[in-house]
Amino acid sequence: MLRADGAGEPTRRAALEVRALTKTFGGVTALDGVSLSVERGECHALVGENGAGKSTLGKVLAGIHRPDRGIVFIDGQMQAFNSPADAARAGVGMVHQEPVFCRDLSVAENLCLGRYPRRLGLFYSRRGARVRAEALLARIGAQLDVGQPMRRLATAQEQLVQIAAAIGTGARVLVFDEPTSSLSETESQRLFALIGSLRGRGVTSIYISHRLPEIFQLADRISVLRDGRLVGTVARAQASEAELVQMMIGRPLAEYFPQHLAAAPGRPLLEVENLSSPGRFSGVSLQVRAGEIVGLAGLVGAGRSEIARAIFGLDRRASGSLRVDGRALRLGSVRRALRSGVGLVPEDRQRQGLVLMMSGRANFSLVILDQLRRLLFLDQRRERRTAEDFFSRLNVKATSIEAPVASLSGGNQQKVVLAKWLACRLKVLIVDEPTRGVDVGAKAAIHALIDELARAGLGILLISSELPELLNLSTRILVLRAGRLAGELPRPAATQENLLRLMAGV
Amino acid sequence: MASNATWRSPYRLQEAGLVLVILLLAALLTFGGGSVTVGGREVNNFLRVDNVVPNVATTMSWIAIMAVGATVAIAGGGIDISVGSVFGLAALGTAAVLQRFDEQASGWLVVPAAAAVALGIGLLCGLLNGAIVVGLRMHPFIVTLGTLSIFRGIALISVRTKSLPSGDHSLPLAFTSRFVSWQLVVERAGATPLLIQPVPMLMMLAWVLAAWVFLSHMVAGRQVYAVGGNEEAARFSGIAINRVKLRMYALSGLSAGLAGLVSTGFYGSANTATGEGYELMVIAAAVVGGASLTGGRGTALGALLGALVIKLIDNGTYILKQVNLGFTTLPVSKEYSKIIIGVAIILAVAIDRFSEYVQSRRLAMGARQKQ
Ligand SMILES: Nc1ncnc2c1ncn2[C@@H]1O[C@H](COP(=O)(O)OP(=O)(O)OP(=O)(O)O)[C@@H](O)[C@H]1O
Ligand SMILES: [Mg+2]
Repeated sequence: MLRADGAGEPTRRAALEVRALTKTFGGVTALDGVSLSVERGECHALVGENGAGKSTLGKVLAGIHRPDRGIVFIDGQMQAFNSPADAARAGVGMVHQEPVFCRDLSVAENLCLGRYPRRLGLFYSRRGARVRAEALLARIGAQLDVGQPMRRLATAQEQLVQIAAAIGTGARVLVFDEPTSSLSETESQRLFALIGSLRGRGVTSIYISHRLPEIFQLADRISVLRDGRLVGTVARAQASEAELVQMMIGRPLAEYFPQHLAAAPGRPLLEVENLSSPGRFSGVSLQVRAGEIVGLAGLVGAGRSEIARAIFGLDRRASGSLRVDGRALRLGSVRRALRSGVGLVPEDRQRQGLVLMMSGRANFSLVILDQLRRLLFLDQRRERRTAEDFFSRLNVKATSIEAPVASLSGGNQQKVVLAKWLACRLKVLIVDEPTRGVDVGAKAAIHALIDELARAGLGILLISSELPELLNLSTRILVLRAGRLAGELPRPAATQENLLRLMAGV
Repeated sequence: MASNATWRSPYRLQEAGLVLVILLLAALLTFGGGSVTVGGREVNNFLRVDNVVPNVATTMSWIAIMAVGATVAIAGGGIDISVGSVFGLAALGTAAVLQRFDEQASGWLVVPAAAAVALGIGLLCGLLNGAIVVGLRMHPFIVTLGTLSIFRGIALISVRTKSLPSGDHSLPLAFTSRFVSWQLVVERAGATPLLIQPVPMLMMLAWVLAAWVFLSHMVAGRQVYAVGGNEEAARFSGIAINRVKLRMYALSGLSAGLAGLVSTGFYGSANTATGEGYELMVIAAAVVGGASLTGGRGTALGALLGALVIKLIDNGTYILKQVNLGFTTLPVSKEYSKIIIGVAIILAVAIDRFSEYVQSRRLAMGARQKQ
């Protein structure tokens, strides 16, 4: 067997072992001498702050990044992956944090990419693809029309397709990079059941997440990364949430979720009446008052993001009436919505929130270009100052505000999107999954910010698939089911159980 | 993986590599070009004012002016291949209007008229391109491929004489030899005087400067990069996508109009073939200058340097009679220019990619040594 210097025999029974893994990106050390060993059939969780190096570790295992130094063993075999295909051959698959698909191909074609079913060895079999795709999706309990093009799917549905694709490769080691970040409770539970059954069949999983409760539900052992180093590995039975958080951020975190204290709500800022969009949702009426945080709950596909998009003027087929701060707002134009004071933090940061190749500064100022305008020119000094101010308030971890946002970790990208919207003067802010993929510390900071905005008199419409987030922040929660409002719960009456019941309609 | 894509360091002067290429090309032409006798003196064939100014700087000026406009369109995620035809139409239009003036007409009359016609035609063609792209939601390549043919057709139909000014007309001197092709005469001791026509070059520099201000200092420029980089995110940010696109095709057309004006003023005439095939050179200059066909990238300075590279290669095929490879000599004639330009386009983009890679490796090594 090949043997690198200093590399002894791999630990027996380990399905996966890495030794002294180091990976740098142009001066940024993403992984710094990480050694880790995972047993066959184990579910091993990776936690850590945004930018700690979790995705990078996963991508090294999946053959996407080549490590600068260090060795990877799979089933005791030393590996040097040059491509994801190499990793797949060795039995490693990955569910990515930011899904990548051929957006114009159908769900079925995407699921069969690279291994097309053939007829007579030469022709692409559409029916074969359909059958295989449906079978793959059925394994994770998802139901989707596999004939529709990928671009029609919501983020959460894409995530389901990702998971189905990774599991379908028959990998023996699966890396899940924040697979539940936009799934609702119900879909998440299905995924957990699936991971459980995979474990029974000896499949090893590496599970990356910022949601501690699900980690405690799933993982056998938990490893904590901080600034690219392994802080430690603990068995689930010995770990406590507080201890993990301390390991992650290097200090205790007093309070994760500042409970939003409902001040007496003021005048209605957003009044939606009978909002409908064919095939998406219908007859939705709701109100958001100044100082209120109104939660919007629902299963994947219930129409939450679609409603947000319609209010923000992105749905040309939407009808209904809208008033912002008492004044009518005609649907169908983002610029009109913005002018009347409505903002939207979109759910998909990479596609809808950011121009990846531009710097953090330029992304930050996209919506406030008009405020930064001096005649035809951009006041770049003020732009830089404001960006620096907001980035430090949100604790964005980047080499500088000039670094392209493509080089930031997922959570830090999310913070840039938030910063961009926090900087403009609004009356109503719709936030769609504001803490998707954000670490505990930053999540607390974002919650505090949303709370502060509401206190300052904004009306907030909060869409989240994370029930604790909704329960902690909202003044009241509206539940959406299959495109219609199914009920409303004031905060004191809302619990996980009755929310779930309303969402599922049982 | 978008988060996995290579990215360009903001601190690297993007144009540094191009300057290096230009210096290398210039060195090659200087040493390989040999010497000629001009006005009784032995001088370098390439590196002499009466080669570099008229054969490189002047003739590159209309290419560079158009490349600047092409860069705006490309950075905005579009493309405009109709520029050669717009250039031709603007050049002919200018000639057609100006030939009606008296040869001695006042510059105060003639120059504004020329500007209005050339820029007006360019702007109109650009707006038409933009309106079709935006209105019919069509791919700009197809749209401008169509208008490339349409605009050339209009020129052919309206100028039956094939070339303007026609008959015994000629263009007013206030526009030609007293403005665009005005000659600066520098006396040289012991040699014939040096003749320089600086106006096209100066107009090119002014246009590059204007485009630089637009792209890096104006709100509208920032919007172009945003739309080119990620149209969806730009829409979610409340940027008026259609207006931005219309504006960028208008600018591309305007650039072609200005280039047509310069060319007509310089040559004192235009014909129905003027500008044919220029789109290739223009887009080549933009791409060699760093504009990315996937949008979101490109600078005015890059366009200028890109045009310079293209023109140096062009000039090189005149200057170099043969290249000595040590074991054999290759004849070089102007017929080779197209092949060399083609190779240069591919090489320039490949080198750009490679230097990005090398730089990220170097930074990684540096970071490792620090530990
Ligand atoms: N392609 C890249 N180019 C440059 N820097 C990168 C690249 N990918 C990651 N990084 C940097 O490496 C570090 C680790 O990033 P990584 O994506 O692994 O973090 P993470 O732990 O997954 O964070 P998150 O929880 O936010 O997803 C970050 O500082 C990030 O900016
Ligand atoms: Mg990550």
